[in-house]
Amino acid sequence: MQLNFAAREVTLKLVYYGPALSGKTTNLRSLHELTSERSHGRLMTLETRDDRTLFFDMLPLTFRSDESGMSLRIKVFTVPGQVLHGSTRRLVLQGADGVAFIADSQIAETENNAASFLDLRANLKDLGLAIRDLPLVIQFNKRDLSNVRTDGEIAALAQRGREPVFSAVALNGDGVIESFLGLLAVTWSKLDAEHQLARTLGIKKEAFVPLAAEKLGVTRPVSELLAKCVGGSLEFVPGPEAKP
Amino acid sequence: MTDEAAVTQEGRRAADAPGLDAHLRLEDLVDRAGLDELCRSFLELFGIPVRVYASEGDLLADAARGHEICAYVNTLTAGGRACGATVSAVKANDGGETGDAVHPCFTGNAYRIVPVDYDGRRIGRIIIGPYLPAAVAEVPASLLQIDAQIDPGRARSLLAKVPRANDATVNRMSLHLKRALDLILFSGHKALLTSQMHLASVRESYRELEEKNRKLQDAYDRLRELDRLKSTFLATVSHELRTPLTSIIGYSEMLVEGIAGELGKEQREFVTTIHEKGGHLLALITGLLDLSKLESGSMTVNLRAIDVHELVRQVVSTLTPLARKKGITLEGAPPPGLPHLKADPERLRQVFLNLVENAIKFTPAGGVVSITARNLGVDPGDVDTSGFALLAPVHAKVEIRVADTGIGIPAREKARVFDPFYQVDSSSTREYGGTGLGLSIVKRLVDAHRGTVHIEDNVPQGAVFVVRLPAAAAGD
Repeated sequence: MQLNFAAREVTLKLVYYGPALSGKTTNLRSLHELTSERSHGRLMTLETRDDRTLFFDMLPLTFRSDESGMSLRIKVFTVPGQVLHGSTRRLVLQGADGVAFIADSQIAETENNAASFLDLRANLKDLGLAIRDLPLVIQFNKRDLSNVRTDGEIAALAQRGREPVFSAVALNGDGVIESFLGLLAVTWSKLDAEHQLARTLGIKKEAFVPLAAEKLGVTRPVSELLAKCVGGSLEFVPGPEAKP
Repeated sequence: MTDEAAVTQEGRRAADAPGLDAHLRLEDLVDRAGLDELCRSFLELFGIPVRVYASEGDLLADAARGHEICAYVNTLTAGGRACGATVSAVKANDGGETGDAVHPCFTGNAYRIVPVDYDGRRIGRIIIGPYLPAAVAEVPASLLQIDAQIDPGRARSLLAKVPRANDATVNRMSLHLKRALDLILFSGHKALLTSQMHLASVRESYRELEEKNRKLQDAYDRLRELDRLKSTFLATVSHELRTPLTSIIGYSEMLVEGIAGELGKEQREFVTTIHEKGGHLLALITGLLDLSKLESGSMTVNLRAIDVHELVRQVVSTLTPLARKKGITLEGAPPPGLPHLKADPERLRQVFLNLVENAIKFTPAGGVVSITARNLGVDPGDVDTSGFALLAPVHAKVEIRVADTGIGIPAREKARVFDPFYQVDSSSTREYGGTGLGLSIVKRLVDAHRGTVHIEDNVPQGAVFVVRLPAAAAGD
């Protein structure tokens, strides 16, 4: 997070992480489509000829809180999923305030999801961060495909984990806003606790996500959207100390 | 630490992250020449000057054709002053919160100030004008009263030459300029991010490689240390083994010679065996000692000029009895006129004694072992042809070949026979004896002389050991 009091600006960095071809860029494209013209900038994609992400994609979202006069700038990044771009993933992760892990729901992708998550953990460790200190949501994407884990199975897994879990079909935009707002909620909850943002910025914690949703042009009620979350908590709770 | 300090520190860390662009500036995102060209094409299209300023006030692009009325006003004292004041006011106007601003000039002309926002931030402004708003019908009083010297007729005719534009036109101009500039800014931003990312990636890869190199170097150093310890250990043990062995050999020899009284036939046979095996053990230990010395690099070679003929003569005379005993012909006749070798005579003799003894060992009765030599000049495998005249004198080599008509060496074994303790097959040890150290010592000794040794086939039967050694320079 960058906090610039002089310019009355807060900049957040959110990163969409996950295995190759799990739909990170698709999430960003949908997010771009689903948010209002006023609030989003151009979607920046740096991709190779075969449409695979080379460095990262970046979607800037900007809105102002009229009440407090603060500008909120959210930069949403994706990392390249292919294994060989390891150092790029680490660079994109640098300075991230929150991570949405986009998993592929297909049963055959189970191992790739796990491997990518371990890669995330290793990269964070390299950056001197622990995954338990990072706001995180998990999205099970591609729910429309056959041979995927059932909703019941996902719910059962989510109940046992500590991160909020969302289902999505990013290609149609289903679950994209839900996951994004979920990530925003957890991230803001952590930053608010650490930096007393309610006091310094004059934005009440409970008011932040509804404000963001409204400014981004989301018309459905926030409570309804966040209720799509299964398992986990949208309040950031640091994980238990890692066992030595 | 106060909250604020904590936040600032956090901010600084995040600012290092690529893509967050704490301070994106207009001049970082555009190519000035390109921006100038864009403004110029608008000037050509509408006849109205276009200038682009960065937020800090730097002029980044300037496409202007001076209007005659402006030039005229500036010839008047009060006019020039008023013009200067107007221009300063226009420059100071940053366009307001939203939308364009219009700044009128006392001449009746106007300036349009178009703010340039990118990524939600104000990073500069475009100034369009001066132009004559379509609504202005008369020469305004503000112009006529600006200076007592003004000529109203001239002012009217010059003002009429200023391009007229209605609001709709200027709006269109402003909109298209903004759109074009926005695209340029986006491309510039993308290129900036890409290059930053690229640079960071390269740096990251470099860091990873450095780390790996460091680990490899550590592992290598550790192995070298172990290797040194091993050689030292071997040298110490060999030395300690040799001392009692000398007594065993000496006393058994005395027994055989009957110094301690006549021995029975069987007793003599036993003691002879003890003496022979003792000698064999001594050779093995000496070989090990040599090898460990060579490997630890503690063996010194005293390089001197050596006559090849003399070397071959010594080797042949030493081993002729052995060859004769096996019924093998041993011949050594190097051609005359060979350059001297640069080598340690003792070590080199050891090399060829080893090779020839080996050849005799593996050659059946009736066979031939021959030593030949030739002047190689420059080893063709050693240097390419460029700079031949310069390199030939220092790379000159002499080749000495030890050929036998023995059992030969299979192709896949040719490199491995130089490994310590390696023997083509263990049955050969039983049949021919030997420690398996001879050739590895040869290899290391030749290496120590900066020479090479390899094996060729001796058609139709046998093997040739080819040793190439540096020739002594003329002065040596």
